[in-house]
Amino acid sequence: MKGFIGEFEELVLLTIASYGDQAYGVVIKEDIEKRADRRISIGALHSTITRLEEKGYIKSWLGEPTEERGGRRKRFFELTQSGKVGLHQMKSLRDDLWKASGANLELAK
Amino acid sequence: MKKEIKPPALADCLFKKYCKNAQIEDLHGDVEELFHKNLKTMSTRKAKLHYWIQIISLVFSYAMKRRKQNASNHPFASSSFNPGMIKNYFLIASRSLVKHKFFTVINVVGLAVGMSICLLLIAFFSFISTYDEFHVNKDSIYRVLSITDDKTETKAWSSAPLFLAQLLKDGYSGIDEVVRISAMLGTEVELENRKLPLSGFYVDPNFLQVFTFPLLKGHKERALVRANTLVLTARGSKKLFGDADPMGRIIKLAGSDFEVTGVLENHPKNSHMQFEALASYESLGGRDGSGAELSYKENVREFRNQYVYLQLPPTTDISQLQRYLNEDVARVNDSNDFSISFELQRLTSIATGRSLSNAIGPEWDLASLSGFIVIALLILIPASFNYGNISIAQALKRMKEIGLRKMMGGLQRQIFMQFIIETIIICFVALGLSFYIFTIIRQEFLSMLVSGDAISLELDLPVVLYFILFATVVGVATGFVPAYYFSRLNPIAAMKKTPGKSNSTFSFRKSLTVFQFALSIGFITSVVVIMSQYKKTINYDFGFQRENILDVQLQDIDPNLFRNEFSKLAGVAEISMSSHIMGIEGTAPEHLKYADGSDSLEVFQMFIDDHYLSNLNLELLAGRNFARNDVSEKNIIVNETFLEKNNIENPASLLGKTFMLHDREVELIGVVKNFHYAQLDEPIESFMFRYDERQWRVANLKIASTDIRGTFTDMEELWKPLAGEKKFTAHFFEEEIEDAYSHYFVLLKICGFLGFLAITISCLGLLGMVVLTVESKMKEIGIRKVMGASVSGMIMMLSKDFMKLIVIASCIALPLTYLFFDKVYLRSQHYKIPISAAEILLSVAIILSFGLATILSQTVRAAQANPVDTLRND
Repeated sequence: MKGFIGEFEELVLLTIASYGDQAYGVVIKEDIEKRADRRISIGALHSTITRLEEKGYIKSWLGEPTEERGGRRKRFFELTQSGKVGLHQMKSLRDDLWKASGANLELAK
Repeated sequence: MKKEIKPPALADCLFKKYCKNAQIEDLHGDVEELFHKNLKTMSTRKAKLHYWIQIISLVFSYAMKRRKQNASNHPFASSSFNPGMIKNYFLIASRSLVKHKFFTVINVVGLAVGMSICLLLIAFFSFISTYDEFHVNKDSIYRVLSITDDKTETKAWSSAPLFLAQLLKDGYSGIDEVVRISAMLGTEVELENRKLPLSGFYVDPNFLQVFTFPLLKGHKERALVRANTLVLTARGSKKLFGDADPMGRIIKLAGSDFEVTGVLENHPKNSHMQFEALASYESLGGRDGSGAELSYKENVREFRNQYVYLQLPPTTDISQLQRYLNEDVARVNDSNDFSISFELQRLTSIATGRSLSNAIGPEWDLASLSGFIVIALLILIPASFNYGNISIAQALKRMKEIGLRKMMGGLQRQIFMQFIIETIIICFVALGLSFYIFTIIRQEFLSMLVSGDAISLELDLPVVLYFILFATVVGVATGFVPAYYFSRLNPIAAMKKTPGKSNSTFSFRKSLTVFQFALSIGFITSVVVIMSQYKKTINYDFGFQRENILDVQLQDIDPNLFRNEFSKLAGVAEISMSSHIMGIEGTAPEHLKYADGSDSLEVFQMFIDDHYLSNLNLELLAGRNFARNDVSEKNIIVNETFLEKNNIENPASLLGKTFMLHDREVELIGVVKNFHYAQLDEPIESFMFRYDERQWRVANLKIASTDIRGTFTDMEELWKPLAGEKKFTAHFFEEEIEDAYSHYFVLLKICGFLGFLAITISCLGLLGMVVLTVESKMKEIGIRKVMGASVSGMIMMLSKDFMKLIVIASCIALPLTYLFFDKVYLRSQHYKIPISAAEILLSVAIILSFGLATILSQTVRAAQANPVDTLRND
C-alpha cells in the first residue's frame, strides 16, 4: 500500500465521504463525536484535515458567508480520486485480514 | 429580544494577533459556530470556556502551523526575505548618510571612539582564551592547587607541596604522569666570566613529553634525566651563545656547572609558563634554588614556587582524585590552626582562571578583568545612546519618507529593518575608524598591563570575525531604539510632520546628557586628583634628605676601594654605603628576640655604614652612630616605632640593651627619628640599621659640585679601572623616588585617555543636540530679533537649558568621585594626602569650558544670523 492512512484519518475521510460535498469542520466534528462517542478538539481535527489535504486525499473550497459564523465563510471538503482509492485499498486490506482470521474472531464460543 | 451572546473578545483578539496574516477565516468560523451551538446546550460560562479551549487547540495545531508557514511564504508577505529590498535599504541608508554629513560624522566619530576600547577588550580576550591551547595533551593535564586556611585568611595557591608528587606516584593508580616544577632556577648565569640574566624552571624529565614544547636539538626523553643538565629555548640560546651551537656547552648556574643538552623551540606567547631555560630536577639534589634543604618530608606548609602537574587518562574521576588528595593530606597535617586542601585545575583554565597566589606565569582572573569590561561599556554605551538620541531628534527630517512608505503598505517590520541596517552601516564605518584608533593605542595598552609581554594583540582570523560580529551587534543594539521609534510612527502624523510624543523622549535625552557629562567629570577629576597626589607624594617629607644624592650600584666592587677612589673627587662631599635604596625597596622583616628568648619582634632592616645617617640627615634621638669599621657587627640602631612597640618612652633607657638575632647577640646603640623606609602605602613599622660590609650594594654619594655633567664624566673615568666591563649605573636619589611612584603615571594615562574618550563622546552628543535645537528655533530667533531681542539675550536663551544639564551633571558626579577617592582609593595608601577643593573645582572648570565651547560654537552663530535670511522663506 502506498500512502498510509491512520485510524483517525480514515474516520475523517469516511465522514467527509458520507456528507458528499457538504462536509465542513463543525459537521465533521459533530458527526465523529456522535458516532464514535469521543471528544475531539477542533485543532486536532483541522490538523488531520490539513495532513489529508497535503497527501492529496481531499480537496477544499470556500463557501458563502453565513450569519451564525460571524459572517465568515465555511471551508467545504470533498474526497479526491486518490482519497477514494486509498479508502478502497484500506478496506480490501481489512477484508482480507477478516477473511483470513474469520474463525478465530468469533465472539460467541 | 434577548441580547446576543458573543464569544469572548479577548480570545478572538489574541487568536487574530497570533495568526497575523495567515488564512484562518474558516477555522475561526468553525469555532464560532460551535460556540453558538454549545450555547443551546450549556451555560454561557461553560460555552465560553469551551471556546477558549478550542481556540487554544487551534493555536497549537498542525493546521495552524502550516497556514502560518504558507502565509509567510506568500509573495506579498512581510517576512519574506527580499534581496531587492535589502539592496534598497542600503541605497536609502547611504543617501541619507551622505545627505546629513554633519550628523554622520558626529555619529561615526562617537561610535568609533566608543568602540575602540571594546576592540582592545575583544582582541585581549580572544588572545587569552587561546592560552595553553597549543598543548597536544591540553585536555588531560591538570595542576594541583592548594587552598590554605590559617584562621586569619584563606588563600588559594597555584603551587603545591612537593611530597604530593611522591604520594600520587606511589599511592594512586591511574595517573599517567606526575611532573614537578620548581621556579627557583637562579636568575643569573655565569658564562665565561659574564653574568647574564636567565629565567627558567627545574623540571622533571617527563616535562617535555607531557607538555608540547618541541625540541630543535637534543633527545626528548633523555635531555633532562641526568643531574646538572639543562635545555635552552632558542631565545635563551641566542642570548647566551649568539648563533653558535650551544649543545654540550657548560653554563655556571646557582654555583654549579650545567651542561646544555638540548635546544627548544621558542614557546608561543600564549603559554602560561614562560621560560628561557629548563634544568633537570635531578640537579636540585634535594636542595632548592637558594641552597636551602628541600623538604621531601611531609611538610604541608612549605610549597612556595613548587608546582605539581598531572597528566591523567581521560577516564579519571577528577572528584575522586581530589577526595583522595584531601583525605591523605588531612592525615599528614597535624596542626590545629592550619588547614590545607587541594583542588585540580585544568591546564586550559589556568590563564583565565581564579586569582591565585604564587602564580607561575601570567594569569588573569576574571574578577579583575570585569572591571575592564565595565569601563569599556561605560564608554561604549553613551556613544550608542548618542546615536539614538541624534537619530530621534532628527526624525522630523525623515518623517515624510517614513509616512510615505507606510502608506504604500510598508510594514512596521520593514521600517524597523531599514533603520537597523542603516545603523549597522554606520557601525561598520565606525569600525574602520576605531580599528585605526585601536592600532594606535594597542602598544600603549600592552605596556600598561602587568604581564603585557605575554599578550599579543595582532590580528588573526578569529579576531577579525569577532570585530565584525561586534560591529553588527553594536549596530543592532544601537539602532534598536530609533528603529523602534520610527517603525511605530503614525503614518498620517508623519506625513503632516507632526511627531507625536517628542517631549517624553526629550527628558530621556536630557538625562542621557547628564549621565555622559557626569562620567566625563568623574574621569577628569580622577586625572586631576591623581596628578596632584603624585606631586604631593614625591614632595612628601619622608624624614630623610634626598637632594643631591647620587646612588651608584656597586656591582661587586669592593666598597672600601670604591670609597677610597671616589672620595678623591672634588665634586663628592660624602660617601656612604647601604644594602639597598631607602624609601623604595622593601626587605623581608627579621625576627628579633629578647635576650631572655621570651618574645619575638618583627623588625625591618637595612645595612649601612657610619656615614649613612649624616649623609641622609637622619636625626639621632639618643645613643651614638656606628663607629668606623664597626667590625663586631653586633650593634643596631633602631627607629622610634621600635621603642613604641616596646612601650618605652625615653629613648635613652633602651640603650645598651641586648637582643637575640639568629642566635647571636646584638646591642642597641642608638635611636633615630622615624622616617619612611618603604613606600607610602606601607605604615612605618619597627626598623633597625645594621653594619655589615658584605651587605653593601649601593654607594650614596653626596654631590657638592654644580657641574653635574663634569662630575659624571670624572666618575666614569674612575669607575673603569675598578670595574672593567661593568656599566656604571648611577641615579639621583630624587629621581629614583619619583620612578618608584611611577604607577601613578600608569593610572594617569588610563584615566586621562578614558576621560578624553568620555569628553569626546559627550561633547559630540551635546553638539548634535545643540545643532538640532538651534535649527528648529531659527525662525523663533528671527522673529524675536525682529521684535527687538538682543544677541546676548538670544545666546542666553539658547544656551541656558544645556548649561543647566552640565551643572546638574557636576552636582551628581563630584560627590561620587570625591567619595570614591576618599573612601576607596586613599584607604589603600597608609599615609594619605587629602584631596583639596581646588582640585575638584579645576576639573569642573575643565568640563564646563569644554561644554560651554561646544554650546556657544552653535548658539552664537544662530543668534547673530540676520533675521531676514531666516524669515524670508515663509
